[in-house]
Amino acid sequence: MIINGVEIRDTFAEAFPMVGTRLIVTADTPEWALIAGRTTTGFATSVIGCGCEAAIERTLSAEETPDGRPGVSLLIFAMDFGSLKKVVPLRLGQCVLTCPTTACYAGIETGKRVPLAKTIRYFADGHQISKKIGNKRFWRLPVMEGEFVCDEDTGSVEGVGGGNFLILARSRGAALKAAEAAVAAMGKVEGIILPFPGGVVRSGSKVGSKYKGLFASSNDAYCPTLRGTRPSALPPEVGSVLEIVIDGVSFAAVAEATRVGIQAACAVGQEGGVVAIDAGNYGGNLGPFHFKLREIMGTEGGAA
Amino acid sequence: MSGVSLKPRAPFEARVDFSGITPAVTGPLTLRELEHLAVPHGTRSVPLAELFFIEGAPDGVLLIEIGDARLDGVGAGMLEGELIVDGPVGAWAGRGMAGGILRIAGTAGDFLGAELSGGRIELAGDAGAHAGAASSGSRRGMSGGVIKISGHAGARAAERQRGGLILIDGDAGEGLATDMIAGTVSVGGAIGPLAGRGMKRGTILATSVPALPAGFVDTGAHELVALALLARRVPELARLKDWGSARRLVGDTLLGGQGEVLAPG
Repeated sequence: MIINGVEIRDTFAEAFPMVGTRLIVTADTPEWALIAGRTTTGFATSVIGCGCEAAIERTLSAEETPDGRPGVSLLIFAMDFGSLKKVVPLRLGQCVLTCPTTACYAGIETGKRVPLAKTIRYFADGHQISKKIGNKRFWRLPVMEGEFVCDEDTGSVEGVGGGNFLILARSRGAALKAAEAAVAAMGKVEGIILPFPGGVVRSGSKVGSKYKGLFASSNDAYCPTLRGTRPSALPPEVGSVLEIVIDGVSFAAVAEATRVGIQAACAVGQEGGVVAIDAGNYGGNLGPFHFKLREIMGTEGGAA
Repeated sequence: MSGVSLKPRAPFEARVDFSGITPAVTGPLTLRELEHLAVPHGTRSVPLAELFFIEGAPDGVLLIEIGDARLDGVGAGMLEGELIVDGPVGAWAGRGMAGGILRIAGTAGDFLGAELSGGRIELAGDAGAHAGAASSGSRRGMSGGVIKISGHAGARAAERQRGGLILIDGDAGEGLATDMIAGTVSVGGAIGPLAGRGMKRGTILATSVPALPAGFVDTGAHELVALALLARRVPELARLKDWGSARRLVGDTLLGGQGEVLAPG
């Protein structure tokens, strides 16, 4: 399959089940909402080293939030529900509670409950105030700046982590340009995040290492500087590879993001230096979710 | 209309205890069984059909055409469905209700929604004393649900309230939220004396700072995000978004309480 001169390789991305939740963080200004969102989702690129994967899903207008202030929606994923229940209150307490003017609300109503203020309310040392409206309880925690308002808990979903595709390009600049285009386009897809810096990974990994104790190591088959010294997946004209990793609330969301991202990368085209689109997998033996690139790109506006 | 319609045959000569005659109870019954349902009337117990003309088919909605101030316990113990009264009701309406909707087009006597734990009561007229309060001898008043009073509320509304929301469009009588434990009561009109006495927690939303017992402390005016949230989650409290800031008075500190009265700052 060729799109705009770019080869879509006949392969698939292999992804894993993850458990995720969504937080709605609001603040007095869009800038402070973004600061809270970025801080909360910082150091959350990969569960391998960070315990969770998180990012800002999208920004929210005042009309879209529970308290009528600008906000951001955040998605946080962990490998299991027990881990999610630990990492969310930690990040909430250290990064949202501490951030000026913020409040935090549940972004998912269904599924197992992930504690928010249910855990961190004790910071208020007995001065916390509970309010239950309908079936929803929220808490008011006195803080030096005023009050921190936070829902008691949020729901969760069984999502998909580790969806991905690789952009093989002639140069670093071309790979970056295509990756930036893909990230921009994928940002419009709801229900997914790209947890790596700017949505892009330059150090894609393979499973295992020659060193004891390392679970992952450099994906040498895609390292241009190792071509010829190791079995390589790169044709001679490829000088740089960047990866986009996708976590989402459903298979369909990740598939749609993959389609949109590849489409945008291919729009840069052969003339822009993009050679091929590939994907990372482990032979299909580890992850139950397989995103077949050619099927996805053959499905206009839908999941494969 | 759908559901069952009850029309009094004549003004009641004695008080009628309507407790327990709810849509959940009448729903499975045939019209004939409904006619024979026993109802306390004064010192006697009489078949429902002796007091009411009964029409319709039981289906989760119960309509009482022409209410009566001697009709006590309307909607008491309701769990689901809808009970509509096209007129006034007596005491204990919606007592111990846990679900469903009770709509009353007229006034209500004392103890409206006492110990309510869920559901919604909508009263078009005035309520007597102890709306949403604890029954005599009980430690806790309403613990959940919503009571909306479009008129005035009598004395000691929200007494020992433990949760839920009371919305009073008009004035509230003496002793509002006495010994309140938690929950929220909003008053659109004037608040009588001794509001909040013995308050442990909970919130009184007022349109101006009322005369309060000595145990209340003024913490000043604050911008509270919680008010914007309440304004969005409760349509009847939409006015809170226009407050800007709120005066917050905390009490009853003489008893170690941390309840609050909020009024526009």
